[in-house]
Amino acid sequence: MELLDWSLVSSTIRMVTPILLAALGGALCARVGIFNVGLEGMVLVGAFSAIVGNHFTGNLFLAILIAALTSVLFSLLFAYMTIKLKANEIVVGVAINFLALGLTTFALRAIFGVKGAFYDKDMAGLPKWDIPGLQHIPVVGEVVSGHSPLVYLAFVAAIALYLFFYKTVTGFRVLAVGSNPVAARSLGLKVAGLQVLAIVMCGALCGIAGAQLSLGQVTMFSEGMTAGRGFIALVAMMMGQSHPLGILASSFLFGLMDALSIRLQGFSLPTQFTSMLPYLLTVVAMFFLKDRMKGASHNQQSTR
Amino acid sequence: MAAIKELGKSLVQPLLAVVIGLLIGALVIASVGESILGTYQEMWKGAFGSFYFFTSTLARATPIMLIALGLSLAFRAGVFNLGAEGQMVLGAISATLVAIYLPAPGVVKLVAAIFTGMAAGGLWALLPGFMEARFRIPLLISTLLFNYIAVLFASYLVTEPFRDRSGSAALAQTVMLDKSVWLPKLFAGMSVHAGFLFAIVGAAILFWVIRFTPFGYEVKMLGQNPLFAQYGGINGIRVMLTGMFASGGLAGLAGTVEVLGAHYRFVDGALTVPNFAWTGLMATLLANSHPVGVVFTSILLAAFQTGAMGVERNTEVPLELASVISAVLILFISAKFSYDWWKKRKAKGGESHGTA
Repeated sequence: MELLDWSLVSSTIRMVTPILLAALGGALCARVGIFNVGLEGMVLVGAFSAIVGNHFTGNLFLAILIAALTSVLFSLLFAYMTIKLKANEIVVGVAINFLALGLTTFALRAIFGVKGAFYDKDMAGLPKWDIPGLQHIPVVGEVVSGHSPLVYLAFVAAIALYLFFYKTVTGFRVLAVGSNPVAARSLGLKVAGLQVLAIVMCGALCGIAGAQLSLGQVTMFSEGMTAGRGFIALVAMMMGQSHPLGILASSFLFGLMDALSIRLQGFSLPTQFTSMLPYLLTVVAMFFLKDRMKGASHNQQSTR
Repeated sequence: MAAIKELGKSLVQPLLAVVIGLLIGALVIASVGESILGTYQEMWKGAFGSFYFFTSTLARATPIMLIALGLSLAFRAGVFNLGAEGQMVLGAISATLVAIYLPAPGVVKLVAAIFTGMAAGGLWALLPGFMEARFRIPLLISTLLFNYIAVLFASYLVTEPFRDRSGSAALAQTVMLDKSVWLPKLFAGMSVHAGFLFAIVGAAILFWVIRFTPFGYEVKMLGQNPLFAQYGGINGIRVMLTGMFASGGLAGLAGTVEVLGAHYRFVDGALTVPNFAWTGLMATLLANSHPVGVVFTSILLAAFQTGAMGVERNTEVPLELASVISAVLILFISAKFSYDWWKKRKAKGGESHGTA
């Protein structure tokens, strides 16, 4: 088996998608001054409701919509607790993760009557889109073509978020709230409203990330199937400085490490070290990026 | 007297939150069509129903309590340490290796293992503290990252160099510890072990430190008003680093006693899967960082978990009822958490260490 070939890039792209989507959501929250530890829970809820939606409607589009909406509902709970009740966002984030794990496992039993995992052989997963024209080109076809629509959506979302932040008025306002909430408020910006908007958009992105996990990659749901991806997304968000393109790059790094560590098992190398690499890199990166990092995470103190 | 009053005050809101948590739990139970009262009865029986179940609850509460105690000290100083998991696992693996390979008599090995576990956890916590103090790298982020590094490193140690290859090779684990280094059980045939006493003593010491020593005063000042603390001549960085070392050390001790008192070997994942670290964080928050309160909230959260195991054995309601109730609890506590203590800090403003 080759260590590096084009199918590695292809599997990287697949693995990067949920992380990228959730990290973009996390960036939205970070940009309005909220450190969202609850990404993991929101993705898990999305993964579960995508399966529920698919099972009961039989329609993949509706399933994704239901996943996004359920995660939005969940994110509203987060928004209510942090913005309205002024609870500490880390505390609420931790609670959201526990709640998501509890409720999805519980609902798995209540709705499907199974424990551990739900799998239905008749259930259709997300289709693989072959890009006309590109699919037959060697290398490019192999790498770019044949992914689920949500994979493409993730990359579109990264670009869209970039445009949103730097080309739209609302986006500028969001950035203003994040960089100096007091000044933003004195300009007459509705700080709380923009924060809720960001959290809700984060919820939608996490829901879609969950749908890709449960419908795009495996077509099943198992308890706690996010397995830390929400936290990895959080790290990717921090490493990418909450900048959509930076996140795209850092998520790729995590996806590549993920894909590599699976492949390295064939080479009897300890996978723990390859899995460790992204975190070590992030620590190292923080030494260099610390000044701008401060802007993204240190001023939440004064938001409320 | 003042101490009792403070304790009472810090317990009112948690009790209210418990009631709300149980009510929402009741809704969830009803949604699967089970009897609410019956389920809660099973839960009570699973947690406290017999002396055996009661001691199991205490055994489960032991690591949670130790972690929570450490975090409560850190939180009091305004230091948000999210790295308890890594500190616990690294403490546990270091202690295990000392307990296996140190050529010394049993008691010496036992003591050495305990101190090694605490030192490893403490030093692992000190590193992000140092990075915050020296390079202004947010503690919140670095401690989170350090969890993965520690857990993966420990996992490597037991899958490769220190793996037990004698028995069934299915599990990545070290060899069984010699009986001479086992922590004694408190009651024959019951699962609660001497680690529980460590936790109780730890709570008492921490209470004394916070209440009656100059260091405790400095911690309190730093946590409530960093600016005032600075004017008062308190060395914030020294207090922060000491707080990190102590909280990491207690997390390391939590992992150590779990190995020496319950598993008798380091099993990959045995400390991370039960979510001890995050449950400990919840226990601290529930107790509003009060060391004596932590004893009760840790037992409470452990009781939900062991109780839910009983529920799962005897009814159709899954184990995760415990997560739902605990999460709701925290949500209702957190609103107050900010109103009282957090908001006071925010209103007065000022720089803090890694909490933002």
